Amino acid sequence: MITFLAKRTATLVAAVLLSSFAVFLIPYVTPGDPVRKIIRSRVAGDIVDDSTVQALSESLGLQDPLPVQYLRWLGDFFTGDMGLSHISRTPVVDQVMPALGITLSLVLVALGIAVVVSLPLGTVAALRQGGKADKLITTVTQSFIAMPEYWLAPLLVLVFALKLSLLPSAGWNTPSSIVLPALTLALRPISFFTSAVRAGMIDALEAEHIQAARARGLGRGQTVWRHVVPNGLVPLSTLFAVWFAGLLGGSVIVEVIFAIPGMGRLLYDAVVNSDIPLAQGGVVVVVALAVAITTLADFLHRILSPKVSGSLA
Amino acid sequence: MRKLSPFPAIGLAALLTLTGCGLSGSQPSATEKVADTNQRIVVDNFRAPVANWALESDAAYILSLSGCLETLTKYDAAQGKVVPFLATEWKQVSPLEWDFTIRDGVKFQDGTELTAESVAASLNSVLKAKVPARAFGPSTVSSVQATDAKSVRVTTTTESPLVPFRLASVNTGILAPAAYQGATVDPFGHCTGPFTPVSEKAKQSLTLDRNPNYWGGEVKLAGAEVRFITNGATRAAQVQTGEADISLSIPASSLSSLQSAPEVSVLKADSPRTATLYMNNGRAPFNNVDFRKALRSALDLQALAASVYEGAAVPAAGPFAPSEPWASAGASSPKQNVEEAKKLLADAGYSADRPLEIIAIVERAEFADVATVIQDNLKGIGVPVSIQAKEYASAEPDVLAGNYDMILSQRNRLIDIADPIGFLTADYTCKGTYNLSHFCNEKYDQLIAEAARTSTTEERYKLYAQAGEILDDQAVNLWLVNEQATDAIRSNVLSYAQDPLSRYVLTAQTAKSGS
Repeated sequence: MITFLAKRTATLVAAVLLSSFAVFLIPYVTPGDPVRKIIRSRVAGDIVDDSTVQALSESLGLQDPLPVQYLRWLGDFFTGDMGLSHISRTPVVDQVMPALGITLSLVLVALGIAVVVSLPLGTVAALRQGGKADKLITTVTQSFIAMPEYWLAPLLVLVFALKLSLLPSAGWNTPSSIVLPALTLALRPISFFTSAVRAGMIDALEAEHIQAARARGLGRGQTVWRHVVPNGLVPLSTLFAVWFAGLLGGSVIVEVIFAIPGMGRLLYDAVVNSDIPLAQGGVVVVVALAVAITTLADFLHRILSPKVSGSLA
Repeated sequence: MRKLSPFPAIGLAALLTLTGCGLSGSQPSATEKVADTNQRIVVDNFRAPVANWALESDAAYILSLSGCLETLTKYDAAQGKVVPFLATEWKQVSPLEWDFTIRDGVKFQDGTELTAESVAASLNSVLKAKVPARAFGPSTVSSVQATDAKSVRVTTTTESPLVPFRLASVNTGILAPAAYQGATVDPFGHCTGPFTPVSEKAKQSLTLDRNPNYWGGEVKLAGAEVRFITNGATRAAQVQTGEADISLSIPASSLSSLQSAPEVSVLKADSPRTATLYMNNGRAPFNNVDFRKALRSALDLQALAASVYEGAAVPAAGPFAPSEPWASAGASSPKQNVEEAKKLLADAGYSADRPLEIIAIVERAEFADVATVIQDNLKGIGVPVSIQAKEYASAEPDVLAGNYDMILSQRNRLIDIADPIGFLTADYTCKGTYNLSHFCNEKYDQLIAEAARTSTTEERYKLYAQAGEILDDQAVNLWLVNEQATDAIRSNVLSYAQDPLSRYVLTAQTAKSGS
């Protein structure tokens, strides 16, 4: 257990260092002058005065060598200071935390929907393996993979906001605001989760200890509930963690379409505008959370799965 | 006292169209509807404040359109001139000095009085910004000081008749001294306008209440919410569902659904933006005017406007929109003439020894399609073209250095102030700081220099028109389409006057009926 946690802590530190350095380099390895990008994001327009570029560069310390800039940020970060946004000149933490809270809510609801939908679907498909229900469920859920968010989101708005007037078309104001974006985000995880639950349960159904339980006279329903369903949850926990980590910073399309001020939009805007401290702060928080979540998932995996539980020791 | 000259009738008519106050952009009659002063209104805006509420940034536009921020002067598009706002009068007291008289009886929303001292402090705050505003920075203004209780003196670095225009820029909005006490600008309760900001949801919306003590008379709405919705389709959906009362800057792709939607009106007006194919006049074959004219004759602008822009833009007629008061009277959109293009090409001695390259900047998604249409048109006269999609930031160094053939871009002629002098100087004079086409013409430069010294608006506009004719005669660039400013409003919105630059949206007169 201690070894496991130590390894994961080391992974966390390495991931934070690598990701923050990679983000730091983006404005310098992509074409265009980062200082001009910052200026254009503040005062939109094409003409940028050289003297303004020089003054802002000095003011933000961007004329220093890159290693000096990065180490300065790192030193501040390890004392709990994420710095000030280059664009708004307000603390990065004050922008990252509200955005993170919003995205966490959105992602949790979306993945919650995916779990609630995929568990029964995957179970039915496994129990009816090869049958009509299995084929129908598999075909329908697999088709979800081919539905991109930029197509699905306007479709849901058209139906539920424009035609039926049931839900708001955008914004983050009332509990109902979360429904359409969460549904949009949930569709593809539903596909993967259903497939994983089905596969895990088919494996379990064919396992010797299940056959033995049935031979001992345990009813089909009880066997499924006690022994098969938990096996279906094992791959689900891992997939949940992977999707959770991915959606934390990767829900930018949904956030733009539904006007949600979450982490995806924050990171996208920060990178486009060369707002290095904001991008670094945001990425570090997302990466740290992703590592923590996947660690927790591995931990659960080891508890739920008898095959690997011994390795925790 | 300097009196601005009366605006000619023809210019006024043109400007009415330009600003949406004419036939094309006016709100349908709603005389049967009665304003309900208890109503609140929702406006979907296309941008969010990125630099907090710093007035030198584009956040000033949001505060202005929200009816919070006011300036010393205001550009009245219908009259085509600068009119009093927080200043009642102004005069040029020396070549470099302008005195503005502050309006009596104006109070900030925090109850403090508008004085010359508070105005000077507010303007100095913008002047000293690390990233100065385009309209009001140290390169044009050297100092601002209160000369007595009601007078403010603005001193410029060079003689300029356009100082009152600069003080109409939203970046020079006036806030109470308390707004500048913290590390960042705080407009809450510190404006002078008809609406007081009361709360903000970061990157989502700004909520405002009526300012009951507004100096400009009764405010006809109880309050407003300005939402920051960057996705155009979402803005269109919100005005259709009734979640928003006014949606600004509707994308072309949403126009057809909105035009058929009940209870929604679509307003259009010419915007000061022209999509342009910039040509590198400093390099062969573009250094030959016949070659440039050949390319102009080869293009089918009508088809381009109808197809790629889906009717949300009109074919351009030179560097200015025809409705602009400084456009030449006889300007018209060039018609495609392939035979003439081929003849001009032969006159230019062009040989297709290499494909010419068009850079289509990726920030404007439609430019990829525009480039393809141009490529096809030019292929028809035997000019091979390749297309390169690039981020503007990556293309800019080469373009400014003259290492390119053609680039598709779009400029706002009135981005600094409500006068095209900045655009005409930067983009086309020999020493222009943004002369992408590397064009240089002595007569043009003389006209622009003269215009910069001309205080009479009418005379200045005539000089701009002559300068525009030179650009058109020389086919310096290919002006493709004039984009339309398109807003959508619900039928219960009353007294809404469209502003193509979205500076003035909510005013004391903006109202909403109860049904």
